[in-house]
Amino acid sequence: MDGVKEEVIHQTALKLAEEIKNLSIYKSFYNDVQKLVASPNVKKEDFKQTLQQAMKEKGLDTKLRNTVFHWVRTQSKQNKLDPLTSLSKASAQWEKRIHKSLNSMCSDLETSLAKIRPQSEQDELADKWNELSTYNLDLTKYRPVYAPKDFLEVLLTLSGYVPFTREDEPKWEFAHLPLQVKTLDQIRKLYLEWSSGEPLLGANPHMASAVPGFVTLEAERVSLGERVAALGYAPVVQEYLKKGSPQCLRAKLWAQVLGSEIKGQQITYFNQLKKSVLEVDLMIDKLIFKDVQLTASNDDQYFVFEDVLYQVMLCFSRDCDVMQQLKGSIGSPLTVTIKGKQTSTDSLTVFPPSGVIPFHGFTMYATPFCYLYDDPVQLYYTFRAFYIRYWHRLHYISTHPQGIVSLCLLYERLLEANEPLLWIHFRNININPIRVVFKWLMRAFSGHLPPDQLLLLWDAILGYDCLEILPLLALAILSFRKENIFQVNTLQNVDAVLADLSTISVIPLLQLALMRA
Amino acid sequence: MNQEAKKVANNLYGRVNMPAIERCRVSFCTDLEKSVLMSNFERRGWNQVGPDDEWNFYWASTQTCRNLFSVESGYRMNDNQMINHFPNHYELSRKDLLVKNIKRYRKELEREGNPLAEKAEVVLHGGQVVTRYVHLDFIPVTFVLPADYNMFVEEYRKSPQSTWIMKPCGKSQGTGIFLINKLSKLKKWSREAKTPFHPQLSKESYVISRYIDNPLLIGGKKFDLRLYVLVTSFRPLKAYLFQLGFCRFCTVKYDTSVTELDNMYVHLTNVSVQKHGGDYNNIHGGKMTVQNLRLYLEGTKGRAVTDKLFSAIQWLIVHSLKGVSSVMANDRHCFECYGYDIIIDNQLKPWLVEVNASPSLTSTTVNDRILKYKLIDNILSVVFPPDGVPDVRWNKLPSAEALGNFDLLIDEELLEKEEPSSSSGRGAKPNKAR
Repeated sequence: MDGVKEEVIHQTALKLAEEIKNLSIYKSFYNDVQKLVASPNVKKEDFKQTLQQAMKEKGLDTKLRNTVFHWVRTQSKQNKLDPLTSLSKASAQWEKRIHKSLNSMCSDLETSLAKIRPQSEQDELADKWNELSTYNLDLTKYRPVYAPKDFLEVLLTLSGYVPFTREDEPKWEFAHLPLQVKTLDQIRKLYLEWSSGEPLLGANPHMASAVPGFVTLEAERVSLGERVAALGYAPVVQEYLKKGSPQCLRAKLWAQVLGSEIKGQQITYFNQLKKSVLEVDLMIDKLIFKDVQLTASNDDQYFVFEDVLYQVMLCFSRDCDVMQQLKGSIGSPLTVTIKGKQTSTDSLTVFPPSGVIPFHGFTMYATPFCYLYDDPVQLYYTFRAFYIRYWHRLHYISTHPQGIVSLCLLYERLLEANEPLLWIHFRNININPIRVVFKWLMRAFSGHLPPDQLLLLWDAILGYDCLEILPLLALAILSFRKENIFQVNTLQNVDAVLADLSTISVIPLLQLALMRA
Repeated sequence: MNQEAKKVANNLYGRVNMPAIERCRVSFCTDLEKSVLMSNFERRGWNQVGPDDEWNFYWASTQTCRNLFSVESGYRMNDNQMINHFPNHYELSRKDLLVKNIKRYRKELEREGNPLAEKAEVVLHGGQVVTRYVHLDFIPVTFVLPADYNMFVEEYRKSPQSTWIMKPCGKSQGTGIFLINKLSKLKKWSREAKTPFHPQLSKESYVISRYIDNPLLIGGKKFDLRLYVLVTSFRPLKAYLFQLGFCRFCTVKYDTSVTELDNMYVHLTNVSVQKHGGDYNNIHGGKMTVQNLRLYLEGTKGRAVTDKLFSAIQWLIVHSLKGVSSVMANDRHCFECYGYDIIIDNQLKPWLVEVNASPSLTSTTVNDRILKYKLIDNILSVVFPPDGVPDVRWNKLPSAEALGNFDLLIDEELLEKEEPSSSSGRGAKPNKAR
């Protein structure tokens, strides 16, 4: 058995050694190692030992380990072909609908999907780049391409054929989809530190610390967190995030665990994205402007940051790295001609270059980062890393265990198994339970929870590297408010019971749900 | 809502004998029919009466209060009456008196040789070297006009590039405020002003302060802080800070260029001014909570500087109150909730802009209404003795539960008990508000 394992590791190492040469950091890393080899610390006689030692001292060891860590994370089973044809069919159909909708909006408004931006407009945009909230556009005729409720309807029709259904039983369960999801017990094993009752920062930061020398848990976590941040070793950061991060360290820790720390290269790339935004006018820009205005600008937690959000969302739309890294997971994006460009190879563009068409509320994936980063470039890269690793799964149809379909199924299963009375109540009042929580899941609770609670939740997403905490939280909230839900019998009233989450303490609620024996 | 209260009041008038239980019911009177007030009074089952009736609790306008306490009125409050203003609150709320009192307070400390009044040389960002109080430098350099005109000119000449803000002493809501950056502009204004600018003739006085031209910006926008401070006694000083405050943002991006000097939407953060700006949004009303401000600062600038800022804010509030405590008429029947307006500069230093004795109770957004409702609710639970009936003889030591969303800022009586040997409690021991 060990022999097989060794072989696998050996093969992976070989593969990694090859692929690492293609990574952007390779050149500078190799140069640094070469410099070390030339230094007196590295001896020919004991080459391996002395080189490794020297690398450790220079921090190159950590750099290499982090690179391996991030590389391994991106190698996870990429479904080349979705094994469930019903899902891949539904996904393709949905995508067609979206493209059709875009095209018809475009022709209705007598504009082009892509065109060269006139110089005067480019100048104005460049001028107002830091205060795009003052850039006046007539957006009255533009509508978001789709909203969470539209997407939900698509998911609900994934039902397919249910063999034994009574006449009046609505066809709305995900349960018949042959996807495997965890039970609550399995989730407890996953979130081991939580279910075993370990002290969590988000539960009670002021509780007495068990570690001598620290008065409170918060003080203990800050001190530990500072050491973790200084070490800069990504897997250690991930482990640390399981129990919550103090707000003052989050910005750094999140960038470390995602590998999104920026250097000159990233700043240059971001400026290139800005240039793309200025040069080519994509219809998507209007949709982006509209979305920021409808969501962040109207939100009392995020309205202050609207100008940065415009920049981030516009640049995101031009980022073809996103499409590159998500190949296979985001369908086949539209390709359009850029009006005004001579017919050549670069007169075609993917619409948009990122391959991602935003929906109503898409901006909310980025808003919480405004509480961590002042610098738009650092904000952009961390948001982008989050999107590539997690958020895209929330609005694309796939069989991935972290995908929105699986999360909906997980939610249903957990509700039925652990809150049977609520489940029955929903059936009695003829409301599909997914309807009342879907918008939370699709947005990862952004805009529904206050920022401080949301950031604690997203710590956990990073720490355990999975999204299963989202349906778990949805369940925990429903459970918490069940008495009120029992009193009502319309969708509107259930929504009203669940509308205000401002008093929810996320971590204690979750830990309670996980600890119950 | 109002009709109901009136009905109840009328019923009571109709009765000849009031049952024993009813006699204990609190009667209130109010000059302000705001929903956040009325709903709180009604929730407690109080009955509304007129100002000439036997009221236990009066939410009065400052004018009414002044009349009630004036010598001519001869009104004597009994032990079961409480009112929401101190007789001479203007010592704190009038811009010129606030400045006078703080200057006097600092000078007194200096004379006593108190280390709090320590002074040091500071280099301004124009290069000029000036002397400032190390620990008590929380108001921008201010002069009362026309009285201190010459002193102002002297100070002005030290940094001629600076901008100054002119505010009429008696007005509120941003009325009559303007900026000047040239002495000639001030002279021009005084010529054009309706009342001639002669020290003896002018009725209206103004304060002119060094404009804080380096405010902390968030999202490129300027903001100020509104914090609520409840004072139940000045001697000994008992003050409480409401945890739920908010930042008021300007709708337009901050710009120090000369052309923007006249654009009040950029410079003044008063909601009444911003409300009429083109970009005013009535969902959030340009308001962000203090908790979110703290979250943002901790996340982007770190713990230490954020904690330092919030401590400095508490310090500022305590010392501004100490500055007036000796001149305030410390009537036992009185309490007051002040609206503190504070600006934070880009060095994360807080500056006291002004203190409002009648902070607005109008709600601009849903969240605003909830906040102000809680504010009134908590004020009532702090100022009333545990049995809920006004009684000036109680010890004014609210329980932790009664505080609600208030944090104890300072209670000199408790401090005396802890350290009876300390001299008159000059040194503030603010509790950390979280």
